[in-house]
Amino acid sequence: MEIMMGQGRLAIEKIVDPESFKENTIGESSFEDNEVGPGAVVGTAQIGDQDCTIIASDAMAMNERFPVVYAGIIGLEEGYKMAMAVYKTIEADKEKKGTEKRPILLIVDTPGNGPGKQEEIFGMNKSTGAYQLALAEARKAGHPIVAMVIGRAISGAFLCHGLQADRILSLSSKFETMIHVMPLTSVSVITKLDIERLEELSKTNPVFAAGPDFFYQLGGVEELVEEVDGMRSCILKHIAEIREMKAAGEEARLGPWGRGALGEQRGGRMIRGKVMAMMDKQFFAFAEQNLY
Amino acid sequence: MAKWTELQDKSFLEATARERAVGIVDEGTFTEFCGPFDKIYSPHLPLMGEAIEYDDGLVAGVGKIGKKPIFVISQEGRFIGGSIGEVSGAKMVKTIQLASDLYEEMVSEKPDLPEEMRPAVVISFETGGVRLHEANAGLLAHAEVMDQIQNCRGRVPIISLIGSRVGCFGGMGFVAAATDVIIMSQFGRLGLTGPEVIEQEMGKDEFDASDRALVYRTTGGKHKYIIGDCNYLAADSIRSFRETTTAVLQKPMEEIETFRRIGSMEKIKEQIELVKLSVSLKPKDSMDVWAHAGNENPESLINMTLDEFLAQAKRLKA
Repeated sequence: MEIMMGQGRLAIEKIVDPESFKENTIGESSFEDNEVGPGAVVGTAQIGDQDCTIIASDAMAMNERFPVVYAGIIGLEEGYKMAMAVYKTIEADKEKKGTEKRPILLIVDTPGNGPGKQEEIFGMNKSTGAYQLALAEARKAGHPIVAMVIGRAISGAFLCHGLQADRILSLSSKFETMIHVMPLTSVSVITKLDIERLEELSKTNPVFAAGPDFFYQLGGVEELVEEVDGMRSCILKHIAEIREMKAAGEEARLGPWGRGALGEQRGGRMIRGKVMAMMDKQFFAFAEQNLY
Repeated sequence: MAKWTELQDKSFLEATARERAVGIVDEGTFTEFCGPFDKIYSPHLPLMGEAIEYDDGLVAGVGKIGKKPIFVISQEGRFIGGSIGEVSGAKMVKTIQLASDLYEEMVSEKPDLPEEMRPAVVISFETGGVRLHEANAGLLAHAEVMDQIQNCRGRVPIISLIGSRVGCFGGMGFVAAATDVIIMSQFGRLGLTGPEVIEQEMGKDEFDASDRALVYRTTGGKHKYIIGDCNYLAADSIRSFRETTTAVLQKPMEEIETFRRIGSMEKIKEQIELVKLSVSLKPKDSMDVWAHAGNENPESLINMTLDEFLAQAKRLKA
């Protein structure tokens, strides 16, 4: 079994057209200072017959200015670099029609956001928050965004680097992929339930347990990929589907909102829809009386 | 619950989420959605032997400030730390979406919709982010909230209020950063990683989570005001938060957009300059940044009253 965790750069090679990846270049623009944000890998590759922006983490890189950044952690510099890669992508295609915008591929293998004092003083929440807004803007502008989980997709780091995509794919659990907020051991401490009990509960309720299968049931992952060599074709298939759906005005079936409906369809998130339907009804009654 | 007039002088810090929600809009205008009488609660908590609340720790509804419909989200820190699960997450997402949809409807009926009628969203944060008992659903809800915030950009202003005991951390720290305007009190805290986790990662010598003064200096309202992460510092009363919110909402949408920290390439370039400052300054303490901003005696700012602080504190220009 070929484990991809920690090998973001190798994953890029396995997915894109041979030797097509140009790091630090997006459209006409290059990244002025290549040393900034070494934990983030950004650039342009060809996939099929199209330019594609690639954003990944480099688990081997250390950021000597920010010691909390290693092993794929997204730090202050990395978050802004990733956000900048998205804005440069939007800029590069701003003259193109919505249906012709280049895709963005997120290769996901990150254990977290930078957790330090300096990070809090300067506002780490802004850095990766900025990246999420940029991805949401690109998605709404028409760029197909696919996230491919190859290793770790953990909590806030997955929120920034993955969960704003149109579609999320993950290598299946046999590749030791990890998708969670906290491991079951930590959930056990918080809930004061032992691991055996939690494992039992997770068989019928995917809402807290760690792993790609549970996210699949909740609609948080669209498709599980069973072969490393299958990633490329699966990504290409989803890019084509996303393009078709956006062209047909079916954006509501994509992205975080689309995954909400998918979660219900797969029986994973059953109360979300009920809450929203009730609020719709209550707001309509309120609006009738008060707003018109 | 106390009358609206009595709520106004109540401490924002001490108030409940529902008191904040009712008091932040005009008197008698608040209508709650999915409230306690609807008995919509988390189906996941009982499985874990955890108590439930019929509002799932989040008050959602709509009221008015002047002619504006104000969509209110108010988190309750007394219930599992204000954490976001499937139900509270769905309430938050839907409230923002209702505001966005109403704006769309109003503009389609009246293309030159006057500013004084433009809907807005007000979020009172009191949360550490995802609720671990239903962590996966909570995380997915966070992504939906961000998606809705981007939908509101340039159309429906979103104002964050942070003045609660729990503060605003974890995934909700991203959410607050992504809103248009942030109003804090000096008791509010905003960040990503909570103090205990920083201590765990860096060691007690670097960051002592039991040192409350240090914790407040690092993520508290005064620091966030100096560094520019919060736009206004309010006094610790519901009245002060309401009056500040009302004043902000008098401004046209284009001006409100200028209050943002992130959300465009230009804004990010400014933030990258701030990161460079962080590299050159290597602050051991927030006070190093305050001194850099031109506050000659940074320590004196810590115990100043709000009025003294606002009169004297110099803010950072990146």
